[in-house]
Amino acid sequence: MPVLPMPPLMQNAVEPMQVDAPPNEDNENNEEHQIVVENPTIDLEVYANQYTGIARLDRLIYVADVCPLLALEALKMAITYVQSTYNVKVYQMLHKRLADLQAAAGVAGAAAAVVAGGDQAAGAAAAVAVAALPDIAAQPVAAAAAQANATSAGGEKDAFAYDAVWVDAKMKKAALKLEKLDSDLKNYKSNSIKESIRRGHDDLADHYLSCGDLTNALKCYSRARDYCTSGKHVVNMCLNVIKVSIYLKNWAHVLSYISKAESTPDFSEGSKEANAQVHTRLECAAGLAELQQKKYKVAAKHFLAANFDHCDFPEMISTSNVAVYGGLCALATFDRPELKRLVIASTSFKLFLELEPQLRDIIFKFYESKYASCLTLLDEIRDNLLVDMYIAPHVSILYTKIRNRALIQYFSPYMSADMHKMATAFNSTVGDLENEVMQLILDGQIQARIDSHNKILYAKEADQRNSTFERALLMGKQYQRHTRMLILRAAMLKSHIHVKSVSRETGSNHGAELCVSAGSSTTAQLARI
Amino acid sequence: MGSALENYVNQVRTLSAAGSYRELADELPESLSLLVRNWSILDNVLETLDMQQHTLGVLYVLLGKLHSAATANPEPVQIIQLMREFVQRSNVEQLRFAVCPFYETCHLFTDFLVQKNLSILGIKVLSRAIEQIRQMDTQLTPIHADLCQLSLKAKNFNLILPYLDTDITDISTVAAECKNQQQQQPQHTLDANNDAKYFLLYYYYGGMIFTAIKNYERALYFFEVCITTPAMAMSHIMLEAYKKFLMVSLIVEGKISYIPKNAQVIGRFMKPLANYYHDLVNVYENSSSEELRIIILKYSEAFTRDNNMGLAKQVATSLYKRNIQRLTKTFLTLSLSDVASRVQLPSAVEAERYILNMIKSGEIFASINQKDGMVLFKDDPEQYNLPDMFLNVQTNITQVLDLVKQINKMEEEIILNPMYVKKALGSQDEDLASQHPKTYSGDPTD
Repeated sequence: MPVLPMPPLMQNAVEPMQVDAPPNEDNENNEEHQIVVENPTIDLEVYANQYTGIARLDRLIYVADVCPLLALEALKMAITYVQSTYNVKVYQMLHKRLADLQAAAGVAGAAAAVVAGGDQAAGAAAAVAVAALPDIAAQPVAAAAAQANATSAGGEKDAFAYDAVWVDAKMKKAALKLEKLDSDLKNYKSNSIKESIRRGHDDLADHYLSCGDLTNALKCYSRARDYCTSGKHVVNMCLNVIKVSIYLKNWAHVLSYISKAESTPDFSEGSKEANAQVHTRLECAAGLAELQQKKYKVAAKHFLAANFDHCDFPEMISTSNVAVYGGLCALATFDRPELKRLVIASTSFKLFLELEPQLRDIIFKFYESKYASCLTLLDEIRDNLLVDMYIAPHVSILYTKIRNRALIQYFSPYMSADMHKMATAFNSTVGDLENEVMQLILDGQIQARIDSHNKILYAKEADQRNSTFERALLMGKQYQRHTRMLILRAAMLKSHIHVKSVSRETGSNHGAELCVSAGSSTTAQLARI
Repeated sequence: MGSALENYVNQVRTLSAAGSYRELADELPESLSLLVRNWSILDNVLETLDMQQHTLGVLYVLLGKLHSAATANPEPVQIIQLMREFVQRSNVEQLRFAVCPFYETCHLFTDFLVQKNLSILGIKVLSRAIEQIRQMDTQLTPIHADLCQLSLKAKNFNLILPYLDTDITDISTVAAECKNQQQQQPQHTLDANNDAKYFLLYYYYGGMIFTAIKNYERALYFFEVCITTPAMAMSHIMLEAYKKFLMVSLIVEGKISYIPKNAQVIGRFMKPLANYYHDLVNVYENSSSEELRIIILKYSEAFTRDNNMGLAKQVATSLYKRNIQRLTKTFLTLSLSDVASRVQLPSAVEAERYILNMIKSGEIFASINQKDGMVLFKDDPEQYNLPDMFLNVQTNITQVLDLVKQINKMEEEIILNPMYVKKALGSQDEDLASQHPKTYSGDPTD
């Protein structure tokens, strides 16, 4: 039984995103730790209740990973939840994490007591630990920090102790159920009733999923494919595979099954109304997959196509997630008319945005060109975004994109702009702004030049005639170069110039000759140039 | 012994007098070993032969002399004198029958001079040799490579540059010459790779010469030719050329210019062997001079071993310049100290020096205001409305038209080739798509 102190999802599959992610998160985590102490404004309970199944566990574990403030609470909620499933592995892992965390908190608390607030960071850590503990342990914190930690830790042990009996029972039960399902499936197979076999596979897969064995679940769901008799079954199978693939973070797989589901005849021909839910689910899954592959614009379009009334699949993604992912991606990649047409004027997406009033404000402020307040608001929700496992790795990229877009839009109507004013509009210093604008100019996104002496940004009018001349001459030069090389190559082929490998006996001598002539006699020149 | 040499002289005299040069050229190689053995009395033989009349005989004596140079250790001045006289006075018509020995003589002569460190004395001789033997101005001979080597050794590029600036349309190779004359070469064991070797060397040395005179674009062209030569195996010349190609490419374009796909050797053999250089390229793309400086320092041993340290330093300088050029695109005014900090130069004075040099060489357009230490960047003043520019465009157009003519001529040659016609028509008759004329690899002599 591998009970290792590693992020929970790593044991499920070989997944590059996961392996890559931790260092980033650690950085963000530190940042968070330093910048904001009253940090995420989310209510963990509400947050967790948006999801069910593995999604809830994954998200809670992620929160525990990135946010030390909520780590304890998150772990405990995860433990409570996991007990309703067969997922023994995660249960054990969670307990290990909990024990580690408590040990660490104890040490930190003790250290804080010793240093007595001399060290700011340790003091803060102790405060965090103390602040987090009372909710659960219900112990007075009046006593010395170290003692409080020790006792409260002791108190928790009772409520959240490692329950070996439960583990054994669950494992036995799971094994029994597995056996039963297996034998059922064998029965169905010997009777060769397609529908029953399909169901048998699905049941088995559901059970694997409940045990947290994602690879086997995926296998069983995929096997059901051969026994699908109607288009509806195919779509269903696809949805199942997509679900598990999302847990496994195998995004390419997700996308391929989405296209499979969409090309199923019944689904594409059937009435829109009946399929609205499936459709929305597919769009959301596609959006998620594209988001993870950093194709933000496509992701935004997928999320925007989701239908609010049929958006109910807590095992995958919540409605407010759709709003946030879609909104941010749209903001980062859409131009003004697109933003207006597809986001602000969209009746269906408006409902999503209602769930996230902050984001709605941000989008409106952006559209109204009130960049300063827009960027402030964005900074405010940054921490909440960072505890979300899917968007967190992309937050900084998306934020940069949004900022750049704002800079470009800000400058577009001007011939010249005062950089001091511009800096205030973007909550930044003139120096930083200069660097940002410089980057944009180099990337060709802003046609302008900076007067660094007077701190003024001038738009540059491109001289079409000159640039045409320049391009033409360059093109001519390249053409000549290519043609010359072509003629030479023709001559080469004609004369059979060809480097062949020389057989060893005669070749060794010759090779040495080549070495000498290339290396020693002549290259000496260049070193002295 | 003496009688054998007398026989040789008699043979040369009778056959030359009868004008049967072909026969003479066929028979002479057999006596080469004899000549080499009797190196001590070859001067006597020479006295009895006339360069004009007995060119072939003299050529073989020279060849014998050079072959025995290691043992005989002759006076260099005498050999150079002989060669000079020979290329001046020899009879080209006779020489045509013995192109291969002539090439070999030149190669040996070059090696001899390089050994004796007298390269500069051979440049004129070889240049004259090329003039004599080549059939047209745009033909490349193996001697070109020797001439390049001597020029590089002597650091004297005046004579070689006109050769390098000529576009090659035809290549004279030993293999082809031998085939043309149906001539046996018992002495000269035909190494299949020799032609390719001299071809590669010419472009490798040529690239180095252009690098030396800082004509980097042309150098890049030469190195590119060198690394894209059809190859089944990798030659060391190609590897060294590839290393230099990467660096020169950074200097010219700031990135790796397009590498043609048909050169599989590059990916298979050269890339793994040129790791340091690829690291350099990656760092260069970050445009951080500091990082580049560190990596050059880190690999300095490897660069020095490859004799590329000087080029590496040029690469570092080019990054400073490139960064300053980037500044001109983004700024109108900037203080010198800001320039220094942005391109990571140590001081404002250093930055001023760089900018001054760049203004002088026309790489940027700017003026420095020393009173308040500001640099004022300007746009390119070229408005493309001056007669000079018109002339420039005109010459460019003429050049392009010439090239087009050249291509047309080549196409005509192919179309008129009976082999091609046969193949092209044959495929139509049999209606076989696989024998489409396109599969014919442009080799009409075959």
